[in-house]
Amino acid sequence: MTGAALRRANLEALVEAQGATRATPPLLLSADPYFDLAGEEFGRRLLLTTDATGAEYCLRPDFTLPIVTAYIADGVGRPAAFSYLGPIFRQRETGAAEFDQAGIELLAQPDGDVALDQVLTFARASLSIFGVAPDIRLGGVGLFEGLLAQADMPDAWRPRIRNRFGHTEALDRLLSRLEAAPDAAREKQPSRKTLVESVTEQMVAAGLSLSEGRSPEEIADRYLEQQALDAAHVPPRTLKLLRDYLAISGPVLQALTRVEALAAEHKLMLGAPIRAIRRHLNGLGEARVTFDASFSPRLDYYTGIVFEMTGPSGEILASGGQYDRLLERLGATAPIAASGCSVWVDRLEAEVRP
Amino acid sequence: MTGITLAVPSKGRLEELTREWFAARGMTITRPGGARSYLGAIEGMPDITVRFFPASEIARELIRGSIDVGVTGLDLIHETSESGPASVSIAGQLGFGNADVVVAVPEAWIDVTHMHDLADVASDFRSRHGRWMRIATKYITITRQHFASAGIAEYRTVESLGATEAAPASGVADIVVDITTTGSTLAANGLRVLEDGVMLQSQACLIVSRTAKWSKTRTARLTGFLDRLGLSAKLDS
Repeated sequence: MTGAALRRANLEALVEAQGATRATPPLLLSADPYFDLAGEEFGRRLLLTTDATGAEYCLRPDFTLPIVTAYIADGVGRPAAFSYLGPIFRQRETGAAEFDQAGIELLAQPDGDVALDQVLTFARASLSIFGVAPDIRLGGVGLFEGLLAQADMPDAWRPRIRNRFGHTEALDRLLSRLEAAPDAAREKQPSRKTLVESVTEQMVAAGLSLSEGRSPEEIADRYLEQQALDAAHVPPRTLKLLRDYLAISGPVLQALTRVEALAAEHKLMLGAPIRAIRRHLNGLGEARVTFDASFSPRLDYYTGIVFEMTGPSGEILASGGQYDRLLERLGATAPIAASGCSVWVDRLEAEVRP
Repeated sequence: MTGITLAVPSKGRLEELTREWFAARGMTITRPGGARSYLGAIEGMPDITVRFFPASEIARELIRGSIDVGVTGLDLIHETSESGPASVSIAGQLGFGNADVVVAVPEAWIDVTHMHDLADVASDFRSRHGRWMRIATKYITITRQHFASAGIAEYRTVESLGATEAAPASGVADIVVDITTTGSTLAANGLRVLEDGVMLQSQACLIVSRTAKWSKTRTARLTGFLDRLGLSAKLDS
């Protein structure tokens, strides 16, 4: 065996060596759970088909969802580990719609740090089979959530800012809006009761269901909250903290030092999430590691630490992290620790220089 | 093939206005077989073959490059494919068929006036109602692009091929993305366009395919044709 075949066999052996159950979910999956979990953004990349009843199916676009769904159906709680290597299908701008992914999923592990270390080790070992010494980019979802929870601002702004984390433009627009907030005094607002009545009237007149979607109470409450929010300014000092924090990006040790300095300046307790990131650095050894404060996948089930590994071509070769909220989103009744990663086999093979 | 294919809308008001527009610039489009024929010509311009197509097919074929020049709505170019706008060159706006693709919410949603309000509502819709916010539209591609750039990911589209404005009242969707000229149909259905809710201002355009094969001869013919209309197109990227 030589070349590509040998690399493939080595990757196969690595996937088998994870002390995990080898997962082989079906190729044809119900499309709805994917739309439910990841929304239209991901949905547009699915290869869809319908059966005779009109039910929508997709060709397996990833391994995580079917693996985790099956795990939940089996009754959660036990620590479990799964590994995979096989084809997935996504519409892409360049490259074939069918390509291989390998990866691991570590669920309900007693120690999330140890689990993430295994994930990082697996990703680096996969890349080294293809001769790639990666650039590793770390993001701190837990760190940002810690900072946001402690920063001085009206509570109602926190979820609005959190929701935009990972979308640089949307977050920038929100911060600009907050920075430009007018100082004008608000007009006196009608009472909640009056608002609920008037919204109810409008909904009935338009033939809208009062219970099926947004209710009059929800609309009135949010309206009042909105008016209160416009008056409840985020202090300029907090906005500067957020701007300064999100701009931090660079070699991991320097970047974390800057985060620590910022935390000290604003009296924030960020020791735990910073230490969590530091703990993984030893294991990453010689690799070039950067920390990018604004980096996060746009899916709200990610927690803790997230990462991406790129090679000389700049393509993302492996990505993953911790997603302790995923199992809850898929129907588990309590949060369950989860971490994992996928590696893009076709991109790895393309990195190999003859 | 050294001639040039010009595709024009095959029926209705759009066909009439298109032929009037060309006639006003000294080009008479003939349709020898009458309304049932799909082939025509421009008097005195034997190098141009006229084809009559539905407007949505004109957009698709321009993007694919199987016709060279066509009259269709800008909205259809954006909707047919994400790569649509890059695959064509807009040679001219014809000044009719004006309509906006807009985001509209129920009038009763007094707390939602801008896209950023919608982002907030979408973000916790699922935890409040056990399902995603639903958007009825026939403009799936435009909606996805526009919502992605607004940072809104938490929604589902419901494809609606007619009477989109009725979707909220019938319970099919919460809000709509629809095309409108005056907004009166939306208003009559209790819907209000967001203040920054215009996603695309569309009108009928004369559009040149960039994916068609443009030899020297054909490029020269195209330039001659556009010159007579006082227009030009950018073919290379």
